[in-house]
Amino acid sequence: MLTRRVIVCLDVKGGRVVKGVNFVGLRDVGDPVSLSERYELEGADEITFLDISASAEERATLLDVARRTAERLFIPLTIGGGVRTADDVARALRAGADKVSVNSAAVTNPEMLTAAADRFGAQCVVASIDAKKNADGVYKVWVKGGREETPLEAVAWAQECVARGAGEILLTSIDRDGARIGYDLEITRAVAEAVHVPVIASGGAGNAQHLVDAVQQAHADAVLVAGILHDGLTTVHALKQVMRDAGLLVRETAGVAGVSE
Amino acid sequence: MNSVASALPLRVSIFDYGAGNLHSLIKAIEAGGASVTVNVDPVAAVANTDALILPGVGAFAPAAERLAPGLIAMRTALLGGLPALGICLGMQLLFDASDEGPGSGLGIVPGRVTRLAAERVPQIGWNHLDEVHDPLLQAAALNVAYYANSFVCRPTSDGAPFVTAWSEHEGDRFAAAVRRGNVVGTQFHPEKSSAPGVAFVKGFLDFASSVATHNRSSV
Repeated sequence: MLTRRVIVCLDVKGGRVVKGVNFVGLRDVGDPVSLSERYELEGADEITFLDISASAEERATLLDVARRTAERLFIPLTIGGGVRTADDVARALRAGADKVSVNSAAVTNPEMLTAAADRFGAQCVVASIDAKKNADGVYKVWVKGGREETPLEAVAWAQECVARGAGEILLTSIDRDGARIGYDLEITRAVAEAVHVPVIASGGAGNAQHLVDAVQQAHADAVLVAGILHDGLTTVHALKQVMRDAGLLVRETAGVAGVSE
Repeated sequence: MNSVASALPLRVSIFDYGAGNLHSLIKAIEAGGASVTVNVDPVAAVANTDALILPGVGAFAPAAERLAPGLIAMRTALLGGLPALGICLGMQLLFDASDEGPGSGLGIVPGRVTRLAAERVPQIGWNHLDEVHDPLLQAAALNVAYYANSFVCRPTSDGAPFVTAWSEHEGDRFAAAVRRGNVVGTQFHPEKSSAPGVAFVKGFLDFASSVATHNRSSV
């Protein structure tokens, strides 16, 4: 049986890992290569780099970071942010990414999901969806780093992404991002029940129980964690121990010095 | 002669079907001290090499098309004892054919590649291996491995004895690894399966080195 994955997300800007709250207020938290290696040792099941800059120069920087990371990382690496075309997907894969996540470009040009899946396989195409609940209680899709609302409804959009070739959904709650009050279980569950590809819950992890809830209550296949790890509040190892104690199947790792089994 | 031969670095050839990321795979192999060449020509891929790697990313049909002009040469080399490691799609190419697309595989292991019979496809994530009996997997303690696949290998009754580990996804049990002679296949990605996966790749390269040393000293 598949284990439940803990994916560590590193927001990368200018070659450094940064972390914001509700998509704004960035601060530097470290070097992406060494942080990735540390998280692999701690038991992370995957690493995701999100390029949160907007410029072409910084995208080249991110691919260079990916290249250096892929030489030393032996767990899957996903790259996202600023991916617009199937050729961008090709560049990220060549730089060492195993999967590429597509966000705004999928909304403006959904055919690119199909083009990328046809060329490289659905297993490396991740549809990244940023969702936000509106005043009527409807979850809408937002793009451009959470700055622009679209008319798309999140669950229907997730289904369309899968129909067009996405092999995985990365679902981020904009309201919960960095808030550490738990994942948005309502929208996570709705999407997980509506699609037949793995769904990664993202945005809002504050403690290990939040991860357990995302899996047990919202049926997420994987959970994305960032800030609480970068701030040193907990470790991947400790999070997975709580998941294991809750009865979830997680990958066992040897752990690292200073972390007790 | 023997000591000189064994001091040569292991020559590893990667058959590139043009689809994917070979970067971390090459780094993993070079880290073990081997010299790597990447070949788009299937005949060149099995000439003047100590080991062949069939990498893991891509779709069956385009890979089979690239393979076609050298299918017999590669099959002959593998059945003749050239150590080979097929990863994911590379393992699928060891079989006869695939539902994913047209074209012939190498026919090293009798059987066909078909879609996973599960609700959640592709299978993405870390899955358990059971009934593991390849010594390379056992030595690496590779019990949980990273998968990213929609299709799996279904050996015929003649092919079943070559299966060296099994996995299961939503009740569908499939071949996780195969071995026939010096040819090893893994449906999972050892190069993405953290320390035990890297240890397995290193174990395969050490095995290939021992075969190469034996061949060179017996020439």
